[in-house]
Amino acid sequence: MTLIIDKSVYNDSVISKVVYWMSGDYKIVRTSLDEFSEQIELIATKAESSESLVEEKFFQLLNDFKLRQIVADETRDIKTILYAKAFAEDEELSEEDIHD
Amino acid sequence: MTEKEYYLLPFDFTKISGKEVLVNELGDMIISPKGTVQKIVDRTLPKDDLYKSLVANFFISEQILPPLIEVYAERLREKKRFLESWTGLHIFVLTLRCNQNCVYCQASSQNEESKGCSMSREIMAKSIELMFSSPSDAITMEFQGGEPSLVPDLIEYGIQLAEEKNKEAGKEIHYVLCTNSINLTDRMLDICKKYGVVISTSLDGPEFLHNSNRGKKDSYEKVVAGIAKGREAVGKDKVSALMTTSVEGLNYPTEIVDEYVRLGFHAMFLRALNPYGLATHNDNWDEYTDRFIDFYKKAFEHILELNRQGTYFVEEFAAIVLRKMLTPYCTGFVDLQSPAGVINSVLIYNYDGGVYCSDESRMLAEFNDYTFRLGSVNDRYEDLVFGKRAKEIANVWANEALAGCSDCALKQYCGADPVRNYSTQGDMYGNRATSLLCRKNKAIIEYLISLIIERYDEVMPIFRSWVS
Repeated sequence: MTLIIDKSVYNDSVISKVVYWMSGDYKIVRTSLDEFSEQIELIATKAESSESLVEEKFFQLLNDFKLRQIVADETRDIKTILYAKAFAEDEELSEEDIHD
Repeated sequence: MTEKEYYLLPFDFTKISGKEVLVNELGDMIISPKGTVQKIVDRTLPKDDLYKSLVANFFISEQILPPLIEVYAERLREKKRFLESWTGLHIFVLTLRCNQNCVYCQASSQNEESKGCSMSREIMAKSIELMFSSPSDAITMEFQGGEPSLVPDLIEYGIQLAEEKNKEAGKEIHYVLCTNSINLTDRMLDICKKYGVVISTSLDGPEFLHNSNRGKKDSYEKVVAGIAKGREAVGKDKVSALMTTSVEGLNYPTEIVDEYVRLGFHAMFLRALNPYGLATHNDNWDEYTDRFIDFYKKAFEHILELNRQGTYFVEEFAAIVLRKMLTPYCTGFVDLQSPAGVINSVLIYNYDGGVYCSDESRMLAEFNDYTFRLGSVNDRYEDLVFGKRAKEIANVWANEALAGCSDCALKQYCGADPVRNYSTQGDMYGNRATSLLCRKNKAIIEYLISLIIERYDEVMPIFRSWVS
């Protein structure tokens, strides 16, 4: 089956993560169509599910990974501070080290 | 920074039983309605009890730097406390000789009369030197095989050397004998009694199943007699048993649990086959994994039922996961750690003088694969644990930095296993999308969370009693 993904909605990192998780059950071919869209071709390597279910799962994963990406991007600095405070010796970090 | 009503803190999420399960960096879990994460990200979350809970549990912060950042960091440090003490478990593979013929043998055992596959006293002494080089204040010296009870003199020699060395080192030291209990002689039991050696034996379930797995007609009878003898010698609480779920065993979840209860055990570890040694001959790991997950759930339901009826009985794998989920503490279980238990928590001294990073890695060596051989007992401790090979392994031993694991909500309860990745997938990094270990661990952890979501009042008193 073939899906068209809007690259302005889902970036490459998010699409790649979904492809990674689907790769256990599908051979996946990615083709960039233009600046804004990408074609994803999924070929089942195990038991085949209905196309609508696969499509639903794919877009569900896209949305979930997009949310995870937002959380990861917004928390990168605080995560660094947290780990430095927990494990680095003499590491003085403050809110000035958090960047917008 | 733009004005925001609150700031996000690191967390991941997954969906189980129609809910969104949010897990933060500390392993704290919040179960919320679907759509919660979208609302959190969009800043459309109402300031209700869920909001307060998210603030109080380090999922979001009303200030750019959480006011309790020091507490937050201390709690994270506590979760990784196992790293501070460094290697605590030191496994001594004394011999490959064995008096059983198990169908799933993971230790490449040889028959009882084999020559040239037992540890020399010189290697034992050098291994003990290395063990005492570990900065850990508490160390466990575990004797494995083959069947280590076949070499009682070597065990006593090792313990005496360790005791002597410990007069100066002053460490807390524990001894464990991993034995099939087939032939626990008075001599062996005297050693256990004298030095407080804990006995860890193996029993696969009812007589017909155990004997079938062991390739012997009288193995069950001997093991049960050995357990009784061991209990008499060292005390009931100092004898534990471990089962391995053979392909045949998958058909008997309740019978296996009942056998452990009948023999007076209060805990068991529902353990899947590992793909090492003879177990690699199992021809369909995909099917085995799915059947094991089903087996686990059936056996676990039976264990829950026993607990509901008043029999205190713990499933150890679940208890480890639940401890990570429901308490602020880390566990000492090497298979569910990140950074991985290899080297950080366990070192193996093989009978031939090789030093390995995990029990499974020395099993690979029996098939001439020395990928995880850190060096030999003649090497310096620092060269072994900070050497080139150790550094290569360290690159892939944290699930926080592995594709597929890093954004998995369950990573706080799981662990990294470069040795398993290598043995099953051909490289230490591994691929979670096709990993059967990932499939199994995920299914079991999700199952435990689903029980908390769907049957909270019923299961939580039992789970709390297991982790307290």
